[in-house]
Amino acid sequence: MRMRRGPTDFVLFLTVLMLLSIGLVMVFSASSYFAGDPQGPFKDPFHFFKRQLLGAVLGLAAMGFMMNYDYWKLKRWVGLMLICSYLTLFAVLAFGQEYLGARRWLDLGFTSFQPSELVKLCIITYVAYGLSKKEELVQRFIPGLMPFLLAAGGAALLILAQPDLGTAATLLGTVFVLMFAAGARGGHLTALGAAGVAGVVAAIFLEPYRMRRFMAFMDPNADPKGSGWNIINALMSLASGGLLGEGLGQGRHSKFLFLPERHTDFIFAAIGEELGFIGGCLIILLFVLLAWRGYRIAITCPDTFGSLLAAGLVTGIVLQAFVNIGVVTGTLPVTGITLPFISFGSTSLIFSLTGVGIILNISRYTSSR
Amino acid sequence: MHGTNITVRKRLTWTFLLASAAFMILVGRLAWVQFVRGDELQKKALEVRMRDVPVEAKRGSIFDRNGNELVTSISVDSIYCNPGHVKDPRDTAERLAPILDMDVDKLADKLSKKSSFEWIKRKVDNKVAGEIRKLLNDGKISGIGFVEESKRYYLNSTLAAHVLGFTGIDNQGLIGIEKSYDEELRGEPGRIVVEHDAAGREVPEAIHQYIPAQKGSDLVLTIDETIQYFVERELDKVVAQYKPKFALAIIMDPETGEILAMGNRPTFDPNNWAGEPREVWDKNPAIWYNYEPGSTFKIITASAALEEGTVHLQDRFYDPGYAIVADRRIRCWKAGGHGSESFVEVVQNSCNPGFITVGLNTGITKFYKYINAFGFGQRTGISLPGEASGIVIPEKKVTNLNLATMSIGQSIAVTPIQLLTAISAVANDGVMMKPHLVKEIREDGKPAKVIKPEKIRQVISKDTAAQLRLLLENVVVNGTGQGAFVEGYRVGGKTGTAQVVGEKGGYVSGKYVASFAGIAPVDDPKMVALVVIAEPQGGQYYGGVIAAPLFQGIAKDVLRYMQLPETPGLEKPKKPYEIDIPKVTVTVPNVVNYPVEEAIRALQAAGLDPQTNGEGLIVCDQVPKPGARVNNGTKVLLELQPAGNKDSGEPVTVPNLKGMTIKEAGNILESIGLLLLPEGSGVAYAQDVKPGTKLKAGSTVKVIFKPPNYDNSKPQPQTNQVTDSKKLENLYVD
Repeated sequence: MRMRRGPTDFVLFLTVLMLLSIGLVMVFSASSYFAGDPQGPFKDPFHFFKRQLLGAVLGLAAMGFMMNYDYWKLKRWVGLMLICSYLTLFAVLAFGQEYLGARRWLDLGFTSFQPSELVKLCIITYVAYGLSKKEELVQRFIPGLMPFLLAAGGAALLILAQPDLGTAATLLGTVFVLMFAAGARGGHLTALGAAGVAGVVAAIFLEPYRMRRFMAFMDPNADPKGSGWNIINALMSLASGGLLGEGLGQGRHSKFLFLPERHTDFIFAAIGEELGFIGGCLIILLFVLLAWRGYRIAITCPDTFGSLLAAGLVTGIVLQAFVNIGVVTGTLPVTGITLPFISFGSTSLIFSLTGVGIILNISRYTSSR
Repeated sequence: MHGTNITVRKRLTWTFLLASAAFMILVGRLAWVQFVRGDELQKKALEVRMRDVPVEAKRGSIFDRNGNELVTSISVDSIYCNPGHVKDPRDTAERLAPILDMDVDKLADKLSKKSSFEWIKRKVDNKVAGEIRKLLNDGKISGIGFVEESKRYYLNSTLAAHVLGFTGIDNQGLIGIEKSYDEELRGEPGRIVVEHDAAGREVPEAIHQYIPAQKGSDLVLTIDETIQYFVERELDKVVAQYKPKFALAIIMDPETGEILAMGNRPTFDPNNWAGEPREVWDKNPAIWYNYEPGSTFKIITASAALEEGTVHLQDRFYDPGYAIVADRRIRCWKAGGHGSESFVEVVQNSCNPGFITVGLNTGITKFYKYINAFGFGQRTGISLPGEASGIVIPEKKVTNLNLATMSIGQSIAVTPIQLLTAISAVANDGVMMKPHLVKEIREDGKPAKVIKPEKIRQVISKDTAAQLRLLLENVVVNGTGQGAFVEGYRVGGKTGTAQVVGEKGGYVSGKYVASFAGIAPVDDPKMVALVVIAEPQGGQYYGGVIAAPLFQGIAKDVLRYMQLPETPGLEKPKKPYEIDIPKVTVTVPNVVNYPVEEAIRALQAAGLDPQTNGEGLIVCDQVPKPGARVNNGTKVLLELQPAGNKDSGEPVTVPNLKGMTIKEAGNILESIGLLLLPEGSGVAYAQDVKPGTKLKAGSTVKVIFKPPNYDNSKPQPQTNQVTDSKKLENLYVD
């Protein structure tokens, strides 16, 4: 399969660059007080900003590379990717750093590495490839869907064991969308959807801390200093912003340690406080724009693999963004998930940008031309 | 061309639309949080970030009725530490402890606490604060700070201490006016609100909000500083002379119920109340002391009887010296009785049988009507904490014997303020006014609330009240109250002497309450006063003898201070009224070898009349001899030992030195020409020459002294003056 390259999707490229830039600025703004605390562990207001900047540079490099790496060549690596995914997931459970009760990072000495970010990319690539090969077979459950459900489900279970329900759920959600897009039957999808919802409900009810979070979601003021703290302070930060926000760098509630995870999971609340409703809407709009360009690329892609790959990668990003903003605005129960391109986290940044690189590469081969 | 299959395209389009819709929900949600709940959450967020530092409100001042400041608040420093900024807690503690008079270890603990604010010591004086400031400026200590707080300052220290009361460390009123008007005086504390981070630290460019404290209201009392001063001065005299358990005087303006002065002894300095014994400050005897008023209560009996017409001024009475009620013989204070007398004379003589007859004629129902109307058994509602209500036998249970004794002021307990309020009705044409202490509440120097005189009720008619005042004037001019006569003014009043009722009921031997209730001037009363002297020492306990002069001492200055016109042509009472002391047999105590002053005191306490003969400090002989049984009032002749001459070699009698200090013993021995050879320290315990032995002047007496707790029995006057308690009940004098 050889096709002529066209120009990349400039709108998508710009959208991602904008998200990335806003993210860099907001990571600095939200973290500087905490990082610069003379009594704190970092004593450098730029601590997180510098790391995020490095992540962004590496991520942009990866994106640039993937933009020029023809996507169908990825098919060769699918097996390796699957193996790598499982190996790193086992590794993180065995040797991972524990932070806030979860093992999500591998300490590589010079930096830490979050395998679930790699796994998302790999599983999506694998499932997109697999589904594209099955063609009509996707209509049948056992031969068409089962292998991918097992591969993705296994990975999701390992991620859930970290524990990281949010990432596991978005991964499975993305796989579900891929199956839907690939043409799976409505009945199968309904059953899978029901099973997924049941799984999430079970995960919440069987784990006391999730149950507490869920209760706090229902009534944050029941335990304002405990399980309700996160959501209450996120809402307070957002509300402090109003229409236009307090101004860049002026968010007081988010900065002064009231907002937890202010530069990672709850960065959207810091944006809401500093940039207001306008800023929050801009972020949402950028993600909608990303979805629009992403799905457009998928739809216009000439081959099923490219189409599903682009759709899967876009879905992964968009779903994660939706869950994150949903959590911060109190629309969904609290789960530890980052906002793509914006939250602090080099691993996430690098793999998200890698994914975008792949999508941009796919955009160069549209059927419309 | 390789078209992606149509299903994929369709389904991805749906996916995109669904995703867009989901994001629109988030936009809606965001709008709801930021706009609908925005204000509420924003306010909450600010509350969460803000920490309050309270700012003490300045407590209102207290003025007397003429605007003289009695109580004010002054600024003082309180010292705190921020333990995080204390470099070397141990060293700091060792430097501060001696200045602050605190324990080093406790201080070091405070300085190393995990908090950002700890009080070290509050309201220290300027000198201490200055020393600590110096240490800070020299860089010897760190993490110590000052907060300006206010401290109550009572300008006249003990003046009207029980009325004013005092405040605690947080300037909260604890007793007196400070407590009852705490809410008005306190003001509204302000706040400094400062933005903090979640770790409790002040943030850069923090939002500050200053809510200023609202100063408390000022009080203008009804007390007149000058009149209060007269009262305090006279009470001091009484204390010096009679050393009573306590003494008090209250002066009221009968027309308004305003208390012009209220003094108590013992008293205390509210600036340093914590250093004074609790029993001195925690009760205000003027409003709390329940006592049997004795004869001062006869004013009430007379009021009831005259108002009800059960007695008239010229009704005749015959006093054989006693009255028999329900088989009980109640004696008049005058042995042999007053014989035939009019009611005017009954009052003038304070004749018990006369008043008992009047009381019995009035009857329980009518008598109780006035007991209740005059407010006995009820609190007056004066704005001071801790008022007692007196004790009145319930009307249903009262017997004729009770009625008889109540008529002469026994079997009923009143508080001084209650009795004063009742008697003020007589002064105010029968209208009883509610006693009060606060005239005005001021805010920012302007009157915010004026407390108007409050009429309780008309208790007796204007005519009856006028008649009574004339009767009371007659008591002062011709009767038992002559000691209260003030030159130039028409004064009326009534004396009272009662025995102290013990805890188990029954009277306590030798303990009396002397009192005097007076009205002046009787034709247009401007002051009503009650003075009470409880348990005086030194043998004098008659109201007419010790309480009336106390009243007189106060009234003569108050009436002139009030610039009331003098009534010309008033003559002094012609002859001193003979107070006939009831005859009881007492045993003469041994006072030989006593220092003369102590001997006189002991004899007076026993109801005897000491007379000295000769010069000297020591009694060397007495007639009658110790142990003799004589009538009270008998003269006891004390032979004093002349000051000896060491070189004369004349024989001198060795005194009993037991219980004296080295100095006292030395002085006495020297005065009679003997030398002291002291051994040990404390008070004299034993001496080598027996008391009473004759020695040549110039001889040496060896005395062993031991610490006083070993045996501190000073030669005590023998208090065997009265033994028969039946007789005691009848000892009521006027």
